Amino acid sequence: MTTAVTIPRHGGTGGRTAVAARARQVVKAYGTGETRVVALDHVDVDIMRGQFTAIMGPSGSGKSTLMHCLAGLDTVTGGQIHIDDTEITGLKDKKLTQLRRDRIGFIFQAFNLLPTLNALENITLPMDIAGRRPDREWLDRVVETVGLAGRLKHRPTQLSGGQQQRVAVARALAARPEIIFGDEPTGNLDSRAGAEVLGFLRRSVDELGQTIVMVTHDPVAASYADRVLYLADGRIVDEMFNPTADQVLDRMKDFDARGRTS
Amino acid sequence: MTVLKTSMRNFLAHKGRMALSAIAVLLSVAFVCGTLVFTDTMNTTFDKLFASTAADVTVSPKGSDPGDPSKTGRPETLPAALVAKAAGAQGVEQAAGSVVSTSVTVVNAGNENMGSSTGAPTIAVGWSDRELKTMAIASGHAPRGPTEVMVDADTAGKHHLKIGDELRTIAVTGDFRARISGIADFKVTNPGATIVYFDMPTAQRELLGTTGVFTNIDITAKPGFTDDQVKRNVDTALGAGTLKLQTAKEAADSGREDIGAFLDVMKYAMLGFAGIAFLVGIFLIFNTFSMLVAQRTREIGLMRAIGADRKQVNRSVLVEAFLLGVVGSLLGVGAGVGLAVGLMKLMGQMGMNLSTDDLTVLWTTPVVGIVLGVVVTVVSAYIPARRAGKVSPMAALRDAGTPADRKAGWLRGGLGAVLTAAGGGALLLAGQADKAAEGSLWLGLGIVLSLIGFIVIGPLLAGAVVKVLSGVVLRPFGAVGRLAERNALRNPRRTGATGAALMIGLALVACLSVVGSSMVASATAELDRSVGADFIVQPAGGAPVPLVPQAQQAVQKTAGLDHVTAYRIVEAKLTTPDGRTSGESLSVTDPTYPQDVRRKMVAGEHAAAYGKDAMAVGEGFAKEHGVKVGSPVKVAFQDGRTASLKVTAITSDEGSLDKGAIYVSTATARQYVPADKLPAPFMLLAKAEDGRADAAYAEMKTALAKYPQYKALNQADYKQTLKDQVGQLLNMVYGLLALAIIVAVLGVVNTLALSVVERTREIGLMRAIGLSRRQLRRMIRLESVVIALFGALLGLGLGMGWGATAQKLLALEGLNVLEIPWGTILTVFVGSAFVGLFAALVPAFRAGRMNVLNAIASE
Repeated sequence: MTTAVTIPRHGGTGGRTAVAARARQVVKAYGTGETRVVALDHVDVDIMRGQFTAIMGPSGSGKSTLMHCLAGLDTVTGGQIHIDDTEITGLKDKKLTQLRRDRIGFIFQAFNLLPTLNALENITLPMDIAGRRPDREWLDRVVETVGLAGRLKHRPTQLSGGQQQRVAVARALAARPEIIFGDEPTGNLDSRAGAEVLGFLRRSVDELGQTIVMVTHDPVAASYADRVLYLADGRIVDEMFNPTADQVLDRMKDFDARGRTS
Repeated sequence: MTVLKTSMRNFLAHKGRMALSAIAVLLSVAFVCGTLVFTDTMNTTFDKLFASTAADVTVSPKGSDPGDPSKTGRPETLPAALVAKAAGAQGVEQAAGSVVSTSVTVVNAGNENMGSSTGAPTIAVGWSDRELKTMAIASGHAPRGPTEVMVDADTAGKHHLKIGDELRTIAVTGDFRARISGIADFKVTNPGATIVYFDMPTAQRELLGTTGVFTNIDITAKPGFTDDQVKRNVDTALGAGTLKLQTAKEAADSGREDIGAFLDVMKYAMLGFAGIAFLVGIFLIFNTFSMLVAQRTREIGLMRAIGADRKQVNRSVLVEAFLLGVVGSLLGVGAGVGLAVGLMKLMGQMGMNLSTDDLTVLWTTPVVGIVLGVVVTVVSAYIPARRAGKVSPMAALRDAGTPADRKAGWLRGGLGAVLTAAGGGALLLAGQADKAAEGSLWLGLGIVLSLIGFIVIGPLLAGAVVKVLSGVVLRPFGAVGRLAERNALRNPRRTGATGAALMIGLALVACLSVVGSSMVASATAELDRSVGADFIVQPAGGAPVPLVPQAQQAVQKTAGLDHVTAYRIVEAKLTTPDGRTSGESLSVTDPTYPQDVRRKMVAGEHAAAYGKDAMAVGEGFAKEHGVKVGSPVKVAFQDGRTASLKVTAITSDEGSLDKGAIYVSTATARQYVPADKLPAPFMLLAKAEDGRADAAYAEMKTALAKYPQYKALNQADYKQTLKDQVGQLLNMVYGLLALAIIVAVLGVVNTLALSVVERTREIGLMRAIGLSRRQLRRMIRLESVVIALFGALLGLGLGMGWGATAQKLLALEGLNVLEIPWGTILTVFVGSAFVGLFAALVPAFRAGRMNVLNAIASE
């Protein structure tokens, strides 16, 4: 997986590497001296373009921190992170903000939408902020994909939890970011609504060539991914390709057992 | 107890969020206490002054009033023989004549007026050792002989006078010069009067015109006799009831009454402005508690879920308000005393000396301040507290997110509409009223009702107005503008209350600016219409002084003048053919007057009023008394004889200048009033020969340079002076309204700051998906601008309505031109946008500094 093979991206902007994001020897520590806590301990990871990557791990394993660092939301203590060819470690807030706006999409667990804006306005918000006109055709396609055509004028309070997350997915997709980061995007949803949202994410990878990184602790959610990374104590301890939910669950149990015995 | 504990903890935990509310309480309380301390201190100062200067018993001529310089400019006198008579009365230790005149002006070699510009008098006094009770000679010696004068140290200091300098004293009896022989210091605080001493014979000769007379007799009581006993005895000795006698206490009381009336006006005016600030503060406090309660909904729900009842929750919020009120008021009382000291220093700069030794803090002052502060705070928090009580236990379980108001109900809309309509109706009635008293009642009612109406309906208006404003102002800012607009619209009640606070102050500004500029415009129009005179000579301001003959002559000698008209006011009792008698002020002028002021006539010619034993009356007076041209009127001149005059003309009541004036010629008045009793003119009007106006104006100014207590103005300068005076008055009122506006601006800051806290997660989300810091700050600033403009728009609209109504009402009093000062209105509007920007500085900065991750993670 460290071999960099140049493959044309689906939809074809061409000329890009197969790795969408790259972390090298990333350390994230809080505090100093006695109270120093290491959340990420020299992590190396490559996120492959056009893949759906899930990051799993028990609470406190550093999975959310890794995602925040990869997405430019958090700063690292050491190491480098690249989004495509851009090194983001060391970027100033202004550049980071621009990067997030133009090249990254987000789906959070909850509170993804601005209550003052309707669904459509929420979807186009990143582009509005950037002062770009959304690509009408693409937008229609995204909206259609997530099945929101009839609800675009609704305010978030008028939507169900599942619908709200679908709007969030649509927002993440609409700006055609290089990577979408999801932080437990289905954590607040029941299994049916969760399956729906995960289905859209899967389709966006398969049909639109989107790169997605998702943090989750739900094996079912992870089973939608092409590749699952396991984090424990701030280190990547394992990975798995095209897993089923059962396989993921088994592996998790494995870790749990190991965690307990060790 | 637990309730109190949670309240205390909440109060302490949220002290940052309470800070601005506390400042609002502090400011209002400080203004109230400052006013009280300041006026009490002034009272103390004057009490001390009067108590120390008055003799045990003072004898003065009947009808004389030391606080009001005689209109003739010549003090009333007593023959010196009375002094010996008074000395003979039982219980009199000593009786001594004194000479005091307040009808003088003292100038230095450079013709500068040594008098105060604050309205304090210049007092010329005959020196005697009794003055040493209040004065100490600091340098030099007391005046001896006709060429020496002693001056008080404050004046000497202010005008850099030293011993040997020459001063010229201008009195009705003539000018005279004297060199400074000494400088005397006050033993008590002198608030600002200029005092000059001459030796007694000089004072008598130069101020009263003759020796052998005094203006007062100062009597010292023998030990064992009360002032009242001595007063009775002296009165009997001097011929019961022929003179005015006052004990020291009575003199001090009457002095205090004069000054007290003035101080009361000032006190209540300032308290009025403090009241407005309080009113504005209510909105701020109301908003703070509403937002705190909203933010704490889950917490309150939890308390309810585990068994706290509504009352307890309600009370816990009120206790917090109480604590806020106490803290704010306590600080306010302290700040109030500081404010009073500052005000005293400021007055000192303006020439009014007040000593901090006299600083008077009555026990009522802090009590009033604290009670007022606490009551206002608790009342303001009452509705939010009730709302807190209504929070259901289920709220603990719900994801509250960012709370939004319920849609403003039809009840509010209906009530607001009814109130506003009623207010509008009252204003309409006020505009049509033909009696001033009735009209002002309607005006007051209209102002109050429309204000309340606007406050009630504000949240509903917020929606529409903010949308329109955003359409215009925020359009260029794209997505950020839209976000700002949505945020401003999100809590209409909050936006409404924040805007309403600003609205109150700005409505008053707009109203007063409309009335002020209408006043200037009306006066200017009236001047253009009716005044034919080219120049007016009148007192230059400060203490009122009569026009002395030598100044009048200086004006008359000016080359190129067609004529000079003197205008005097003479009091008289008029008995009309209907048998009724009324006291009236007569306008006594020269026959040239009709050329100076053109009057519309109902009957007869204006000029006919200046014949021998002729007079003109106003339309209203004529109607009331059934007087026609040819009717005889008995005129009993004050200090003169009774004349039978014939009405030869009746003036129209149209126009405001000289409306209803009763005209009599100076020649006629002189026939019945002895020369030394005829009041001095209070102004001169003059007309230049054709084409010589500019030269005459210049020459007249030069001639009057010797008499700096008067000024000559041509029409253009007069209009400008009028405009400046109105402008100054308005600026002072704006200055006082600034307090209310500052509190309102704090309200905007408060609302934004609390909103930012409330929207932490949203802000985090927006930053995560790419909103830059700069855009975030701009979004908050724009929201602030929109709220401020909303308040300004409502306030200016309301205020212009009030102002226009007031003008219509005052049209009865001659305010017949409505002029809306668009410049001022526009400046205020644009200014409020900047106020909005300013208010958002700190909240925007803090929002920008928020850590994205923390914001996302925050509950």
